[in-house]
Amino acid sequence: MRLAVQIGGLRLKNPLLAASGTFGYGVEYEGILDLSLLGGIVSKGLYLDARDGCAVPRIVETPSGLLNAIGLQGIGIRAFVKDVLPRLARYDTAVVVNVCGDTVEEYAEVARIADAPGVAALEVNISCPNVKKGGMAFGGDPRMTHEVVSAVRKATRLPVIPKLSPNVTDVTVFARACEEAGADALSCINTLLGLVVDVERRVPRLAFGTGGLSGPAIRPIAVRMAWQAARAVRIPVIGVGGITCAEDALQFLIAGCRAVQVGTANFVDPGIYARILEGLEAYLRRHRLESIDDVVGSLRFPEGEAPAEPRP
Amino acid sequence: MATRPATSAHRPPVNRDVPLVRREPLEGAYVLLTFRHPEVAERARAGQFVMIKAGTVTDPILRRPFSIMSVDPREGVFTLFLKAVGPGSRALAELRPGEESGCLGPLGQPFTAPPEDHEALCVAGGYGIAPFVLFSDELRRARRRARVFYGGRAVAELQLRAPFAALEPPLACATDDGSFGHHGVVTGAVAAYLDTRPGPVTLYACGPDAMLHAVARLAEERRLPAQVSLDPWMGCGLGTCLGCVVWIRRENETRAKYRCACTEGPVFDAREVVWA
Repeated sequence: MRLAVQIGGLRLKNPLLAASGTFGYGVEYEGILDLSLLGGIVSKGLYLDARDGCAVPRIVETPSGLLNAIGLQGIGIRAFVKDVLPRLARYDTAVVVNVCGDTVEEYAEVARIADAPGVAALEVNISCPNVKKGGMAFGGDPRMTHEVVSAVRKATRLPVIPKLSPNVTDVTVFARACEEAGADALSCINTLLGLVVDVERRVPRLAFGTGGLSGPAIRPIAVRMAWQAARAVRIPVIGVGGITCAEDALQFLIAGCRAVQVGTANFVDPGIYARILEGLEAYLRRHRLESIDDVVGSLRFPEGEAPAEPRP
Repeated sequence: MATRPATSAHRPPVNRDVPLVRREPLEGAYVLLTFRHPEVAERARAGQFVMIKAGTVTDPILRRPFSIMSVDPREGVFTLFLKAVGPGSRALAELRPGEESGCLGPLGQPFTAPPEDHEALCVAGGYGIAPFVLFSDELRRARRRARVFYGGRAVAELQLRAPFAALEPPLACATDDGSFGHHGVVTGAVAAYLDTRPGPVTLYACGPDAMLHAVARLAEERRLPAQVSLDPWMGCGLGTCLGCVVWIRRENETRAKYRCACTEGPVFDAREVVWA
């Protein structure tokens, strides 16, 4: 039985990655779970320098979900390369750096520094909804998306994986822009822009105002958008959004994703990777399949063909 | 790195499904819950906490942090004192013996014992009393003198008096409505005791923010060392969600930094906290 998958130039021992912003820099989970269980770890978003992030409150629970506005608090790429990478080197897992920037130039500079021994790929954060500059400002405009991804592409030899925003009318436009700019794969999706109101005080519950919604609440939207993106481009798609168990992961894989990321569920149960891997193996056995690749894109529409261009 | 390793001999917390062993309802929405978790039972120190959630439902999605009230290493169990206030704590309060919950712990930085000649003054507000059961036990074993102050709006909120029955001097209670003990806020009772010039003391506090801030002010006015256990909204317990950050300025720093209460706290030196 084979769980290994190939994402462009990135080889993963299994299709499970920890999503950016939900797994710290990986080392926080040392000793709590075996990091070598994971196909890969995507770091918390990294700029050139350390950042404080948003004011508190930063997180509020919603039905089966989590609305957050952390604002990319982080240690900066140099500290990551110097202090964290050596500690991750002892684990058999792919380290993916989530690259952020206020400007196109900063994205490229972070990418250059992140292209260090021990880093397997770069995820380009063009979809964070909780920063005033960068983030979604780039991922919400196809030309800017193309420009940022091209700049990162030129700055590194590593596989480049833009993370797409769901807060757009047609995700396939952005998927194609990334492919044209030289991306090796796509992560689909980042959080959905949301707002929770404190009705007594008549103010937003989050200090930043709006936030990004994650968790099982957004899973059907994430599966749909990852499916759309996977049909629109030739490069592999990594599905992310609300995965809590093997069945959730399989939905993305069957819909056409080559791998998946686990996000919010990391906060809930650090034992989740062992459980999902067990579930994936049990599924392959039950369906007499050799490889996880046999599952990828196997979605059928019994009532006829899927709509050629689903419209939001 | 933004995080420090946990102090419990630098051993990482342990994640496991824990069966409920015992459920002891108290008055009102209060309950004592005992779970089997050998590592928490063996290693936990006062001020540390667990992240725990009843069942596997996704609504509410997150585990909740609770101070460890007491441990029994021989039985491999620990006990929580909780008040059912929302859906997360209510689901826990309604667990039946044998039912399992996902649990990670022990987490966070514990209280540190006072110098040998100091009396520990523990100041609790509401369910902030929980860690002081374990702490007074630790202090007794370390042969430190301890005095516990327990405040609430009314006597109905002072539901955790029994574990302190053998405490000497006895538990000092305070209620806002005067229904039990000192009539007024608990920090008033502490100030009154300090006015008797009791010799060197270290303050310890766990409870609502306003009470913690009042203890910090009292410590500053009287130039006393104080440790406060902060209770901001917490998502993961491991320093990765970055939801529970608080402004902390360490002694040697020129500028405060957002630090995770879950990994660098919840117990902080009161002088290092930048109060809102």
